[in-house]
Amino acid sequence: MIDAVLQDIRYALRWLRKSPGFTLVAVLTLALGIGANTAIFTLVHAVLLKNLPVVDPNSLVRLGDNEYCCNLNLSSMGPDYTIFSYPGYKYLRDHTPEFDQLAAMQAGMADLSVRRAATNANATPRSAFGEFVSGNYFQTFGIQPYAGRVLSPADDTDAAAPVAVISYQTWQHDFAGDPSIIGSTFLMNTHPVTIIGVTPPAFYGDRMSTDPPGFFLPISQQPTLGSSPERDEASLGWLFLIGRVKPGTSLPTLQAKLSGLQQQALSTLPDMQTAYGKTQLAKAHIVLTPGGLGIANMQHQAANSLYLLMALAGLVLLIACANIANLLLVRGMGRRAETSIRLALGAFRARIIRQMLTESIVLACLGGLAGIVVAYGATSLLLALMFTDAPGLPIHAAPSLPVLGFAFAVSLLTGLLFGVAPAWLTSREEPADAMRVSSRTTKSSSSLLQRSLVVLQAALSIVLLIGAGLLGKSLNNLEHRDFGLDASNRVIVNLNPLKAGYKPEQLQGLYQQIEDKFHAMPGVQNIGLSLYTPLQGTSWSFWVFAQGEPEPAAGHFIGSSFNRANPDYFRSVGQRIIRGRAFTDADTATAPAVAIVNQAFVKRLFKPGENPIGRRIGAGVAANSSDYEIVGVVDNTKYVDAHEENDPPMFFLPLLQPGHFGPKHLDSAPAKPAAIDASLYAQALVLQMNALTPDLELNVRKTLAEIDPNLTVDHYATFASQISGNFTQERMISRLTLTFGLLALVLASVGLYGITSYGILRRTSEIGIRMALGAERTSVVSMVLRGSMLQCALGILIGIPIALLCAHFVTALSTLLFGVQFWDLTVLSLATLSLSFAAVIAGIIPARRAASIQPMDALRTE
Amino acid sequence: MIELKHLERSYKTGHIESWVLRRINLNIRQGEFVTIMGPSGAGKSSLLNVLAMLDDQWRGSFHFDGVAVHELNRKQRADLARRRIGMVFQSYHLLDDLTVAENIDLPLSYKDIPKADRTALVADALDRFNIVGKKDLFPSQLSGGQQQLVGIARAVVHSPTLLLADEPTGNLHSEQAREVMELFEKLNQQGVTIVQVTHSEVNAAYGSRTIELRDGWLTSDSAAIASEVQQ
Ligand SMILES: Nc1ncnc2c1ncn2[C@@H]1O[C@H](COP(=O)(O)OP(=O)(O)O)[C@@H](O)[C@H]1O
Ligand SMILES: [Mg+2]
Repeated sequence: MIDAVLQDIRYALRWLRKSPGFTLVAVLTLALGIGANTAIFTLVHAVLLKNLPVVDPNSLVRLGDNEYCCNLNLSSMGPDYTIFSYPGYKYLRDHTPEFDQLAAMQAGMADLSVRRAATNANATPRSAFGEFVSGNYFQTFGIQPYAGRVLSPADDTDAAAPVAVISYQTWQHDFAGDPSIIGSTFLMNTHPVTIIGVTPPAFYGDRMSTDPPGFFLPISQQPTLGSSPERDEASLGWLFLIGRVKPGTSLPTLQAKLSGLQQQALSTLPDMQTAYGKTQLAKAHIVLTPGGLGIANMQHQAANSLYLLMALAGLVLLIACANIANLLLVRGMGRRAETSIRLALGAFRARIIRQMLTESIVLACLGGLAGIVVAYGATSLLLALMFTDAPGLPIHAAPSLPVLGFAFAVSLLTGLLFGVAPAWLTSREEPADAMRVSSRTTKSSSSLLQRSLVVLQAALSIVLLIGAGLLGKSLNNLEHRDFGLDASNRVIVNLNPLKAGYKPEQLQGLYQQIEDKFHAMPGVQNIGLSLYTPLQGTSWSFWVFAQGEPEPAAGHFIGSSFNRANPDYFRSVGQRIIRGRAFTDADTATAPAVAIVNQAFVKRLFKPGENPIGRRIGAGVAANSSDYEIVGVVDNTKYVDAHEENDPPMFFLPLLQPGHFGPKHLDSAPAKPAAIDASLYAQALVLQMNALTPDLELNVRKTLAEIDPNLTVDHYATFASQISGNFTQERMISRLTLTFGLLALVLASVGLYGITSYGILRRTSEIGIRMALGAERTSVVSMVLRGSMLQCALGILIGIPIALLCAHFVTALSTLLFGVQFWDLTVLSLATLSLSFAAVIAGIIPARRAASIQPMDALRTE
Repeated sequence: MIELKHLERSYKTGHIESWVLRRINLNIRQGEFVTIMGPSGAGKSSLLNVLAMLDDQWRGSFHFDGVAVHELNRKQRADLARRRIGMVFQSYHLLDDLTVAENIDLPLSYKDIPKADRTALVADALDRFNIVGKKDLFPSQLSGGQQQLVGIARAVVHSPTLLLADEPTGNLHSEQAREVMELFEKLNQQGVTIVQVTHSEVNAAYGSRTIELRDGWLTSDSAAIASEVQQ
């Protein structure tokens, strides 16, 4: 049996060697098809299927099943809890012996300004991400240190010395793997912290991210190093929880128990004491989800796109299969005599089918091998496209074992798929046919099956082309939508005075200095300072209330985004003032409290026609509703989500006026002596320039360092690139789909070309007779073209409804199509035109060859 | 009607140029029934292709009814042939996918003839050749003789003045051959000029004049002999 298979394989290889042209075309086609699928699968595997590189990832569970992040008021985020306060975490941990370990980790990341203390006092600090984690974090994941030691529960106590673990990547990248770092002291946000160890190279934390944390810090450090003292605030959710359950634990039981515990933990919150709060509390629950992937937010965001790409790549492979099946059918005709002789000599049909299938599978595997090379190149390219600057991203282009397995499985399947029909047809040859003298015939040009395959290719191509068109149009809509902003000649510099150790009372001087110093820089038109900038991916928001308007019922509060702004901020981002005024230098910390709102805010909070100027509003609780007087209204802009249809309400406060975002008695509560208003710390500097010069970034960094060397630049980008960064994923999908569409177009054209050429070969004498009887060249050309266009048209007729159906589902199930109807006429006609054009090209070459047939020669073949 | 002077034709295969027609001088008058004979490879088919205007790689002069064919371009030649010439082949060359009637209609379909006229002409041809009952059959359902009958019907359906036939009976047995020859005789009597290639003396006897080709040379012409005798 093995021998027979080996012999089949030997025959197959000999057969492929005998026709290098066919083999080359087939292997190339397959390499593209299998390569595209393997490349996408590499991403699917790395992003969606691969567990964290930790011990026994399958016994990890995550508490919660949604994507809420990062600092949320627990009473407003329920009832499905994913994010937890520190007291809440401790309560759950201490009441669940079902967990071997239950670890907490910061939902957001901590901005750190890091400087190694001892070596060089003048060294400028670097920006880095830190993550606050519970003391048992590494124990939970079973992570052993690469060097030194990892955190232990003893490090996570108020009395413990401040320590941190550095990630292997940061250690290598920023500190050249210097071993003396262990035990040395760093200044983090100006506070001394001792580095105790390095994580193993493969470990990238508890979630996949383009920017994994460089330092792991115990939660006990949070009040010192964090931007606000979140740790002991029972109403503030800022932690994710992942636990390792003991063997044999029933997860449904544990889930029910955790939900009960969560209700008890929340029951002490003041907000839960109201009637509405009580109804909310009764609904509070926790859903357990598998924790092997860690915090899988990035995976959830990428999943739809990846599945779509996988489907599209599959279509490309189908087209490739149809192509090769067609080539094989043509070759099968050539082998009819051989097959008939074999049958006449007593071969079993099954034996012939086996031989031919072996040939297809060998061919497919050769294609698969070449495909792996293609996939490696394509994946590298994809990763570079998707993640322009992400050295820490744990996704690699080099094929892993599962990827190789996938490629092999796909090759086998492909070989069967394109081999089965030709094998079957060839094996049905009649032995008697071989004995007959090869009879010349003008019988129909190519089999129905062959033409159906071409029609199928055309149909699949039009599906891909329409997909590419819709996604391209959607991307174009997104990129060119009116954000209500002006991004030209603007740069955005993110910094954080808190990390540089500024106290609230020092901020006014700092802001003044920043404005003065940057105004002195040549080419600067406007300087904006704010908490964050539009489409940066950050947002602050609160409930808002207007004085004199009825208080909304519980559960129907109006949320509004919130930002702070200096007088020039609106001009610096190109946001227009519609009514009233911008902030001025007179709006100081002690001046009357004022606010600027956007039109959406006016629309949500006031009755139509009411003049909002002079009205008073407040944030957090209804009792605050008289805090600020509205002095201006600005145009709506996209701020948080570039895809958003509706403009969210927004309100702005001057940089330094006190803000009240909760019950006032808590603002000065003795329990929170360190309480500061974190919103006073401007974290974004917008520079509107006359022109963007190449040395601008350097000058900006220099100017900031002159003001204070501790003011590190967290991020520097032009406003335009910050906005377009919102569409990276869309751009990638759109480009890939277009690539697939073009690939499909080329494959389908090659298929059409092949079948038409072959048809003409078989019809030579027919065409010769027609020409001898007076057919003109043009009528021969149009006859051939009509044939190939008919197949193309059939393909389009079949493909368009399929494409529309798919597009309809994609529109219904995801937000991938922005501002495009799934039946967009421009896209439909463009796709149809390109396919028809390709069909004309693919048909015209053989058609012209047909027209140049010399009837004399064609008739001579007797 | 046909006037060939110094007609030459050669094939180049690689560097070798082989001559298949050599300095042919030939006049054929309206209403003649000419038979071309000669051994295989002598150039008979080549000559017929020139007359059919399927070939345009020859040198020399060729007048057709006073028109200088050597001065026409490809399209004009094709046009002339389409109107004036009909062809019959040894292996019939019917299109397998078309019915008898459709095959006969083929030459008409390449001309500017209204559909109704075409149908009438085809019906007329079917009638003349006694194959009305076969009009919806496909070639594979006919015997060789019947197929050649259809081939001849197709060749004359557009009333050409010149009928060319390259071994029309080559694939037929003698009874069928006789039928074809009688048909040719009748067409000739109706005024159609006929040039046929054959190996059979019996067939040649139906014609009024026999030409012989050898290695591309015109070696004998019964008309020339006759005229010599008359002198
Ligand atoms: N297309 C061609 N290419 C090369 N040689 C050809 C071609 N057509 C005919 N010949 C050669 O020309 C000679 C005459 O052929 P043909 O006219 O068919 O002879 P006949 O019909 O008298 O048997 C033969 O030797 C043949 O091989
Ligand atoms: Mg011949």
